[in-house]
Amino acid sequence: MKRHNLLFFIAFFVMTPFIFPENQMAAPFYEGKTIRIIVGYSAGGGYDAYARVLSRHMGKHIPGNPMMIVENMTGAGSLISANYLYKMAKPDGLAIGHFNGGLFFNQVLEQPGIEFDARKFEFVGAATTEDCAIAFFKASGITSMDKWMGSKTPVKMGGVGPGAYAPDNVIRILKASLGLPIQLVSGYKGTADIRLAVESGELAGTTWGWDSMRVTWRKALEAGDAVVVLQAVPKPLPDLPKVPLAIGFAKTDETRQLIEVGIHSPGAFARPFVMPPGTPKERVDALRQAFQETLKDKEFLAEMEKAKLGLNPIPGNELERIVAGIFKIEPTLTAKMKEILFK
Amino acid sequence: MIEIVNAFGSGLTQIFNGTTFGLMVLGIIIGFAVGILPGLGGPTALALMLPFVVKMNPVQAFAFLIGMAAVVNTTGDITSILIGVPGEPTSAATIVDGHPMAKKGEAGRALGAALMSSLVGAVFGAFALASAIPIVRPLVLSFGSPEFFMLAMLGLTFVASLSGEVFLKGLISGGMGLFLATVGLCPMSGVQRYTFGLTFLWDGVGLVPITIGFFDIPEIMDLAIHRSSIAKGRVGKLGGVMKGIKDTFRHFWLTIRCSAIGAYTAIIPGMGGATTQWLAYAHAVQSSPQKERFGKGAVEGVLGPGAANNSTLGGSLITTIAFGVPASVMMAILMGAFLIQGIVPGPDMLIPEPKGHLALTFSFVWINVISNIITVGICFLILNQLVKVTYIRGSRVIPFILLLVYLGAFAEKNMFEDLILVLFFGALGWVLLQLNWPRPPLILGLVLGPLAENRLFLSTDNYGLAWVLRPGVLILMAVTLSGALYPLLKRRWRREKMDKIEPSAQEPVNRNGQGLMKFNWETVFFLFIIGVFAWALWQSRHFDFRAGLFPWAIGFPVLSLTIFQFILGFFGKGNATRGDHRGGTEPDLPADVVNRRTAGIFGWIVGYFVGIWLLGFSVGVPLCTFIQLKISGREKWLYSLIYTASAWALIFGIFDRVLHVPFPTGYLFEALGIAV
Repeated sequence: MKRHNLLFFIAFFVMTPFIFPENQMAAPFYEGKTIRIIVGYSAGGGYDAYARVLSRHMGKHIPGNPMMIVENMTGAGSLISANYLYKMAKPDGLAIGHFNGGLFFNQVLEQPGIEFDARKFEFVGAATTEDCAIAFFKASGITSMDKWMGSKTPVKMGGVGPGAYAPDNVIRILKASLGLPIQLVSGYKGTADIRLAVESGELAGTTWGWDSMRVTWRKALEAGDAVVVLQAVPKPLPDLPKVPLAIGFAKTDETRQLIEVGIHSPGAFARPFVMPPGTPKERVDALRQAFQETLKDKEFLAEMEKAKLGLNPIPGNELERIVAGIFKIEPTLTAKMKEILFK
Repeated sequence: MIEIVNAFGSGLTQIFNGTTFGLMVLGIIIGFAVGILPGLGGPTALALMLPFVVKMNPVQAFAFLIGMAAVVNTTGDITSILIGVPGEPTSAATIVDGHPMAKKGEAGRALGAALMSSLVGAVFGAFALASAIPIVRPLVLSFGSPEFFMLAMLGLTFVASLSGEVFLKGLISGGMGLFLATVGLCPMSGVQRYTFGLTFLWDGVGLVPITIGFFDIPEIMDLAIHRSSIAKGRVGKLGGVMKGIKDTFRHFWLTIRCSAIGAYTAIIPGMGGATTQWLAYAHAVQSSPQKERFGKGAVEGVLGPGAANNSTLGGSLITTIAFGVPASVMMAILMGAFLIQGIVPGPDMLIPEPKGHLALTFSFVWINVISNIITVGICFLILNQLVKVTYIRGSRVIPFILLLVYLGAFAEKNMFEDLILVLFFGALGWVLLQLNWPRPPLILGLVLGPLAENRLFLSTDNYGLAWVLRPGVLILMAVTLSGALYPLLKRRWRREKMDKIEPSAQEPVNRNGQGLMKFNWETVFFLFIIGVFAWALWQSRHFDFRAGLFPWAIGFPVLSLTIFQFILGFFGKGNATRGDHRGGTEPDLPADVVNRRTAGIFGWIVGYFVGIWLLGFSVGVPLCTFIQLKISGREKWLYSLIYTASAWALIFGIFDRVLHVPFPTGYLFEALGIAV
């Protein structure tokens, strides 16, 4: 009896594709597959955190419910992973890169080491943007834009190195476009080290993503020891309604453009999720849609909230448009930008 | 005050809750394995465990994570001692004397000393954390870039003591380390220095591939050349675990001082266990009256780093907790856990409940202490088994060590290029060993170089030249100078004293051909160094002032020093050529046998690399393992197959499938277009 049952089962499974042919045809590509998110920074950092939370929830929104894993490919400020994704990764829809979008901007500025063309990546979307707030310690005396602009001596602000979007690029562009008295002291290991130097009085302040600042500097901000005097974003952030916008201080078209191209656009595509060029269109679309759905997923949102990871999503097509935009700027502006950021 | 004492108590009682304690033990078990396995480091493990923390309450979460973080350094020492491969990057300094002890058959004693000093270090670090709580914020805030720079300089003076008998060679070695530290993108100007246009060198030369190459490749060659087991002698039944424990108390004051070095330097952002272990090792050497014993299996050389890499955790936690400034990668991940738990590191952590989280902070202290007690207890139970590794014959151990070498080198940053660095620095390390050049100064220069350069520029940019006159700088300058001069003076006094007692007690050094012009391998190596430095300085003519200052400030003096030493050596005034400073009682082998076997093992090491490059890790490693066992070791089929299967299971099963380490596809498969 048992043997018969077994035979029946085997026959059933062998025949299934023939009995239900449509089913076989419709079996989604991603069924039983594994998607890798290749993060350009080490495990435990900000980029890694977003990728890992996403990897735990996005699979169920993709037809076929593939498994999603995170791999860390570190080096050269995530440039190694960006080049890898462009040149080496197979465009089969199973590789997603998550690296520093500021590298797209570096391509425009013809920086060394870039082996990709940003316009050819397939953009899945961005979960958040890099919205920079500029803050000073109260002890420095810079508690408002008036005080800053009226400062007789250059105000010391901390940076991590040339080419970094925040703090360095933002500070350099603000200085060049708004003529603010700034002395950029660069070479700190990260924003945490800069924060420490600000608290010890070595520096007056600096700028970096508000999402991170409001968490790590909460106590000082609440107590009024640290004051946000300016925000480098196109429109005010929800919890900083009264803080002035940098672009509001721009006097000429050129300075406005410098801020838009050098600060606003790179801020928007700072944390992109992209796929290798040539990935089949329908797979890109499937992931774009799943990405959008995940961003509304209750469990995902709860986990993001718990991990204090901010959200300000940008859909894939929008991201593609913004990235393409920075390639259309005038050569004179590019030259000016190079002068500001790397001299 | 009462509240603080209460918090201290409740920090302890909170841990002894069923679930919390269970999670801590689970963390310990994971940390135990992570510590032992090279290539699987504490940071990776912490990051992988982070998602599980979401559902725990704060005390549970930190019992789990800190329990894990607390033991990786303890068990990392075990691999360092037994097979000479650091289980963690933070336990590399333990190799220098720990592994020679194992080779002398004193593995048990070395392990006993490492474990006991780890425990002392952990307890010290924990209480340093506890006692620092009232004063930590003002203390750390009084430090600026100039003081950090001076601390780096203070650390660099240890190069002198690490140089031992060959002072000038040690200085050159330290200089090479400092110079290597300039490879990569210059943090001040963004200029590429010595990257050859390769992106993987932008972040500089990693500490892990250098340490592995420096210490393990020569070990493997030694094992193969002498066809012996790791241990070349047997001492007692257990190799003296109890003796090791007693050693800790015999040198208790040293253990405490090294714990203090670990705990207090770790407060400085950027100074993690990778640095503190070397400072502690250098201090152990410096404070010993018999420096010549070091590198050959001196137990003090195990106690120092053993204590320091564990006390470091306490120190790192201070900056993380009080300022939210993570002192190391591991701390950065722990900070992620803080945020998940809705706790913001900062002043709140130092205020008693209900306003702050002081009891939680104190619970970290206790978790650190208790998890180390448990780990050390477990280790002592299994030490007997562990020590047996050193008695297995070399041909069986070598494939395993090679696997760990390449896996460990790759998995830190998931970069295949690091394997090439291992080979390069393996060759360099072997040459240095043959020619009696000290290797630790190079590592110290490498870890302190970036800190010194960065903080020098930050100091000057922030304060102009006025930073030199800051009180903290002046104090540290005085400490540095006395630290640098004292050992020199002490050595002179000792020499005078010794000369008085027994004038002929100088160590016999084999000065072959003294006073004659000699042209040998040492000469070749000197010419090599001179060539490299001359080339590097020539290249640096394009650097601007900010990118160039540090390479010039190191390059020119080191180059002149090298030329000076070369001339001394060439006319026979220098130190001995080939001193036998390696531990153990090695039977003298005829030169042709040594040469043949050296070439043989060199071939295996390079062949293994080529195997991985062509076939990838999951095919290349098992294949090379098998070929080595079967052909080189002439092992039985069954043994070779089981061994190979285990190697495959480790690479494919654990690292590829479970941990998702992105191993590269073999070049051959790539070229043929076969996906694996």
